[in-house]
Amino acid sequence: MSNAPENLKYTKEHEWVEVRPSGVVRMGITDFAQGALGDIVYIQLPKVGESLTAGAVCGEVESTKSVSEIYAPVSGKVIAINDALDKNPEVMNSDPYGAGWIAEVELSTDPTDLLSAAEYGILTA
Amino acid sequence: MSELKSPLYDWHLNAGAKLADFGGWDMPIEYPQGTRAGQPGGVIAEHTAVRERVGLFDVSHLGKIEVRGPGALDYINSVLTNDLTKIEDGSAQYNLICNAEGGVIDDLIVYRRSPDDLFLIPNASNCAAVLSVLQSGAPSDLTIVGAHQSYGVLALQGPLSQQVISSLGLTIDFDYMAFTEGVIPGHEKLGSVIICRTGYTGEYGFELVPAWNQTQALWEILVDAIAQVAGRVCGLGSRDTLRTEMGYPLHGHELSLETSALEAGASWAVVLGKEKFAGRDALLALKESGLKRTLRAIKSLDRGIPRGEMTVLRDGQAIGVVTSGTFSPTLKVGIGLALVPPTVKVGDRLQLDIRGRVSEVEVVKAPFVPSHVR
Repeated sequence: MSNAPENLKYTKEHEWVEVRPSGVVRMGITDFAQGALGDIVYIQLPKVGESLTAGAVCGEVESTKSVSEIYAPVSGKVIAINDALDKNPEVMNSDPYGAGWIAEVELSTDPTDLLSAAEYGILTA
Repeated sequence: MSELKSPLYDWHLNAGAKLADFGGWDMPIEYPQGTRAGQPGGVIAEHTAVRERVGLFDVSHLGKIEVRGPGALDYINSVLTNDLTKIEDGSAQYNLICNAEGGVIDDLIVYRRSPDDLFLIPNASNCAAVLSVLQSGAPSDLTIVGAHQSYGVLALQGPLSQQVISSLGLTIDFDYMAFTEGVIPGHEKLGSVIICRTGYTGEYGFELVPAWNQTQALWEILVDAIAQVAGRVCGLGSRDTLRTEMGYPLHGHELSLETSALEAGASWAVVLGKEKFAGRDALLALKESGLKRTLRAIKSLDRGIPRGEMTVLRDGQAIGVVTSGTFSPTLKVGIGLALVPPTVKVGDRLQLDIRGRVSEVEVVKAPFVPSHVR
């Protein structure tokens, strides 16, 4: 069973976001997503300063067998990326909600259409 | 869901394997853990186990065809591209079966039991087509039967595979591509098993062919035996990364009806000097007129990962196509095979169109990692 922590929000495209009171969110891909991808060997990260539009492609993850696009879960400006993933993309498999985070985004508008852990759980059941 | 299931289907499900369709068969891609508690699973761990220790694959989806009767060898040799008179009884040989145009219907292994008794292992999805071609032209005194669900096939691959076979009480020290057939001492209940020094990984290894209804019993014996040496059960995901590192062709990718046997990187298995085989005239004519394409190995010079069907570029011009590509777990870089013009040589630099980005690759000599099959 894949896990989806209660304190996070989710998208149908299997990204998670941690909404912080500061108006900054941290994002990554879910445990379900990493499980479906298999061993992750490369991630093309968004760039710091890049403007993201919710629902638009903002990066790419490659596993041994396939390529998947990463969709921005929110709209806003990228203020930090997890450079460590460049050398060790496998932490997205081992710790998708922790060390495997992808980027931090300063929101330009309030996020919409995000799912609760329970709603996401139904989607991936 | 695929309609056809390996005799180990329930075992794979219980092990939590990720399953996918392979030629109409529901087969494991990868397992979530190794044979010892706490070992993480996945394609890379399984791939590494085969390169460094030993891995066990269920490849029971592979086709099986039996050809028996006087002149079985002569007839099959008059259809397939390689030369079965060049091997002895008790050896296997890699072959292609072509159509009249020289396109590849399938690649297959032929086990030569005797000149009157051959056992063929084609690919799962092409077994029916191969059977139909062989039956259609056969002399009436030959018996050619499909035996797809009469036998399982297990592959034991890796540097410790000999040790695992020895631990079963078997002494098998014969050459690459040779095989034996009989009961395993202490395991008489399994009945007769073919054990062949073959594989699709580039490592020293064996392929075992038990009766369908004994496949799970043999599998469980082997799972216990590999656990003693920290081996792993492996899915077809790692089988693909292993064969790609060796530059081995796969039907449906490098080999196809649309690609001639000479262009697809398997010309070593086409004996044009032979009097008769399907596709001979077309292939001789093609050789005479010059090949338009050839299969080359490519290695990424950046972080790009080649994938099947990507366009290969030289100086901005599209010149070819990637047939297979993956991340090499051994080299930690993208690798692939591509059909390109014969003017492309080892050492050349080419580019790939990776979803709109240009990625640099170098043409290298296959295999990407050293072969240890012998």
